[in-house]
Amino acid sequence: MTWGCLSLLGLAASTCGRGGPGVVAYTSVDQVVSEPIFRTFEAQSGVAVHAVFDTEETKSTGVLNRLLAEAQSPRADVFWSGDPVRPFILIARGLVEPYVSPNAAGIPAPFKASDGAWTGFAARARILLVNTRRVAAADRPASIRDLASPRWKGQAAMANPLFGTTTIHMAALFTAWGDEPARAFLHEVKANDVRIASSNGEVKRLVASGEVAFGLTDTDDAAEAVKDGAPVAVVYPDQDALGTLVLPTAVVLIKGGPHPESGRRLVDALLAPVTEQRMAESAAHMPLRGGLTAGTDVRGLDRVRAMQVDYASVASAMERIQPFLREWVGL
Amino acid sequence: MGRALTSRTQQQLLVGIAALVLLGAGFLPLVLAALELPLAGVQGLAHARAALAAPATWTLLVRSLALAASVTGLALALGVPLAALLAKTDVGGRQAAFLVHAFPMFLPPFLLALGWFHLLGRRGLLGTEATSRLLFSFAGVVLVLALAFTPVVTSLVALALRGIDPSLEEAARIVAGPRRVVTRILLPLAWPAAALSALVVFALAFSELGVPMFLRVRSYPAAVFARLGGVEYAPGEAFGLVVPLLAVALGLLGCERWLAARRSFPVLGPRQRGTVPLPLGAWKGPAGAIVWALAAVSVLPIAGLALRASAGGFAGVPAWIGASLTNSIVCAGVAATIIAALGLIVGHALARGRRGAHLLDAAGVLAFVTPAAVLGVGLISLWNRPATRVVYGSLAIIIIGDVARYGVVGVRTMAGAVAQGPVEHEQLAAVVGAGFARRLFRIVVPLHRLGLASAWLLAFIFCLRDLETAVLFYPPGREPLPVRIFTLEANGPESVVAALAVVQVALTAIIVAAGATLLRRAQRA
Repeated sequence: MTWGCLSLLGLAASTCGRGGPGVVAYTSVDQVVSEPIFRTFEAQSGVAVHAVFDTEETKSTGVLNRLLAEAQSPRADVFWSGDPVRPFILIARGLVEPYVSPNAAGIPAPFKASDGAWTGFAARARILLVNTRRVAAADRPASIRDLASPRWKGQAAMANPLFGTTTIHMAALFTAWGDEPARAFLHEVKANDVRIASSNGEVKRLVASGEVAFGLTDTDDAAEAVKDGAPVAVVYPDQDALGTLVLPTAVVLIKGGPHPESGRRLVDALLAPVTEQRMAESAAHMPLRGGLTAGTDVRGLDRVRAMQVDYASVASAMERIQPFLREWVGL
Repeated sequence: MGRALTSRTQQQLLVGIAALVLLGAGFLPLVLAALELPLAGVQGLAHARAALAAPATWTLLVRSLALAASVTGLALALGVPLAALLAKTDVGGRQAAFLVHAFPMFLPPFLLALGWFHLLGRRGLLGTEATSRLLFSFAGVVLVLALAFTPVVTSLVALALRGIDPSLEEAARIVAGPRRVVTRILLPLAWPAAALSALVVFALAFSELGVPMFLRVRSYPAAVFARLGGVEYAPGEAFGLVVPLLAVALGLLGCERWLAARRSFPVLGPRQRGTVPLPLGAWKGPAGAIVWALAAVSVLPIAGLALRASAGGFAGVPAWIGASLTNSIVCAGVAATIIAALGLIVGHALARGRRGAHLLDAAGVLAFVTPAAVLGVGLISLWNRPATRVVYGSLAIIIIGDVARYGVVGVRTMAGAVAQGPVEHEQLAAVVGAGFARRLFRIVVPLHRLGLASAWLLAFIFCLRDLETAVLFYPPGREPLPVRIFTLEANGPESVVAALAVVQVALTAIIVAAGATLLRRAQRA
C-alpha cells in the first residue's frame, strides 16, 4: 500500500509540472466543436492548448464566472465565447487585452470591435425548430411571439433564460421592444405553459421527440436534429419585421494571462478563414465573411433578415434584467 | 510522566496536522466563501436579503426537502426489507444479488439518469410518451434517486443485521418463527443503522444537483447554482441562500449525533460469519424473485448506457476521452490516500472521544453537505493566487477539493472501525509506555487494516464519481472523466457520451471488484 501511495503521489506530482509552453483557453463553444479545432492548432503550431469547457446548462456563464472569479490572478489567455455579448461583461470589468488580429480584416464591422477588444466570427441564429409530424407546413409558427400565442398553449419549449443564448435573446428583446412590452411578453409566455428546458440541446430533444410542437433554439442544435433525421423543420422567425437574432461566436484575449504570445497565436488561428469555414461545414455555423459558404442545413447571412442589435446594449440589458429573469424562472 | 507528555504531544501533533489539512482543505474555503457575503456590497446584500425574503425561495426549499424526504422514504421502503432478505435469509444467490443491487451507488447519479433517459426517454428502448413524462417529472427524479441511493440503505442495514450477536438471534429462534425473529428482534436492533442510512440518503438527495437539472425539476441547490452560474456572478448572494442549507445540514448533524450516542458507527465489511440463514420455506421462490427483480432494476440504467454505446460509440472513445481517465485515477488515488490517513488520525480521535474531534467531524460533515459550488468558490478564492498557481493550475486543486468534500468519509469509516474494536490493546500498550504514534501505527493500523482499506476504497470511489466539486475549478485540460462526460453530454455524439459513461462504469466495477476481493482475502487471512 505504501508503494502504491508513493507511486500515486509521484504521478500526481509529475502531472503538476506538466504543461510547459502552452496556452489556456476557456470556451463556451460546444466542446464537440471547439476541441477538434484546438487539436488542429496544437498540431500546426506545436503549442499545447489547455482548455476549460462549459456545461450545457451553464452555457457561456460557467466559464465566464470562472474568469470573473479568477480576475485577480487570471489563468486563461483566451476566452472563446459562444456569443458576442458576454465578452462585454469582461470588457466592462477591464479584464480584456485589446488585440486586432491580422485575420480579422475580412470580418464585417458590426461583428467586431474596432480596437480589437472582441472579434466575432462563425455565427448562430436563434430559430424556431418545428416538429413536422405535429405541425403541418402551412401552420408553422413564424414569429417569436408564437411562444405566447394561445394556439400553442403547452406545446412549445424554450431553454432556461438564465443561461446561454436564451438570456441574450431575452435581453435583445428588451432592447428592441423596451422593458415593459418585453416583460409582458415573458409573462404571457409563462401563462402559455411554455416548457422551460435545461438547455437549447434539450429543446432540440423535446421537439425532435415530439414532446412539444416547436421550440426556440439555435441553428447548430437544429442542424444536429436535421442531420439525425428527426422530423423537424427550421423556421427563421420574424422575417417580415423584427428579424432573426444572429449571434457570432467571439474571441477575446485576457489581460494578464500567463501566455500572451501563445494567446495571440491562438486568436489568429481561430479567426483564420479556414477555421470559420470549418465551423460552417462541421458545426452548422453561419460564416460572416464573404467568400465562405454556409453548410447545407443553415442559411447564409445573405438569406436571413437579421435583427438589428447593438451587442453592447444587449450586454447592458442582460445584466439589468437578471433579477426579473430569476423571478420569472422562480429561482 | 515525561513519557506520557511525549505521548500526548505526539497525539496533539498528529491530530493538529490532520486538523490543519482537513480544515485547510474544507473549512477555510467555506469561510472565504462566506466572506463573499459581506464583500458583496450593499447591492449584493440587498439581493441576498431579497432572495431570502422571497416566498419562492422557501417554496423551493420545502420542495427540495419534500424531494429528499420522498427519496429517503422510498429508499427505506425498498432497502430495509431487501437488507433483511439478503443478510438473514436463505434467498437464492443473495451475495450476487447484493453486488448487482449495490453497484450503482458507486456511480455518479447523473450517469444513471442518463441511462434511464436512454431507456425511458421518448426515443429510448422502452420509451413512450408516458414514460418520458414520468421521467421528466418530480416523481421521475424521486424514482431515479431512490433507486440510486437504495443500496446505501441496503448496505448499512445488511451490515448491521450481520453484526448482531448470533446468540440473540439463536435464542429468539427457539421461541419464534423467522418472520417474528426478523420483525421483532433483528430489525429493531438494526434501526439505528436504518436511521443513519436515512440521514445519509436524505443528505445526498437534498444536495443532488445533476439529476434534478438533467430531468428539469427545480430544486434549491439549483437556485444556489444559478447565483454562481447565472450571468450575474454573485457568490455572496449564493452564500446567503446557503444559510438555510447550513441549517438543514446542522439539523442532520444533530440527528446523527443523537443516533451515534445510542449506537456505535456502522462499518464496511462483514463482522459476523457462520450464522445459519433463516429458512424462508415456501416463500423462498417469491422472495428470490423480488430480490433479483430489484437488483435488475438497479442496473437497468447501466444496460441503457451500454445499449446506446454499442451503436458505434466505443469507436469514438479514444478520440474523446483525452487524459480524463488518468486524471480521474490519479486524483482519486492520491485523495483517497490522504483521506484514509486523515481518517486514521481523526477517526481514531473521534472514536476515543478526544477533545475537538467532534468539531473536526462536524466541519467535515458541513463540507460534505454544503453545495459543492460554494466550496468551489471558496477554493478558487483561497488557491488562485500568484504564489499558489502551481497548485491551482494542476491536479492538486482537484485533490484538495476531493479531500475537502470527502474527508468525512474516511473519518467516519475509521471512527466506526475503531469504535467497534477493542480498546484494551491500546490501553495495555500505553501502560507499558508505548507513545501515541507507536500505538497508532503498531496497534491501531494492523488491528483495523480492514477498516483502513475500506476507508481508502470508499474515499477512492467517492472521488472517482465526483462531478460537482471538480466541475467549477478543474485545471485547464485536466478534467476528470465525469466532468468530461458532463461537458460533452448535451452536444457530444450521444453514443460516444454513453460509451464514455460505460468506461466510467467499467473502471468503477474493476476498482470495486478488486477492492472487495482484497478485503475478502484479508479477512480470511
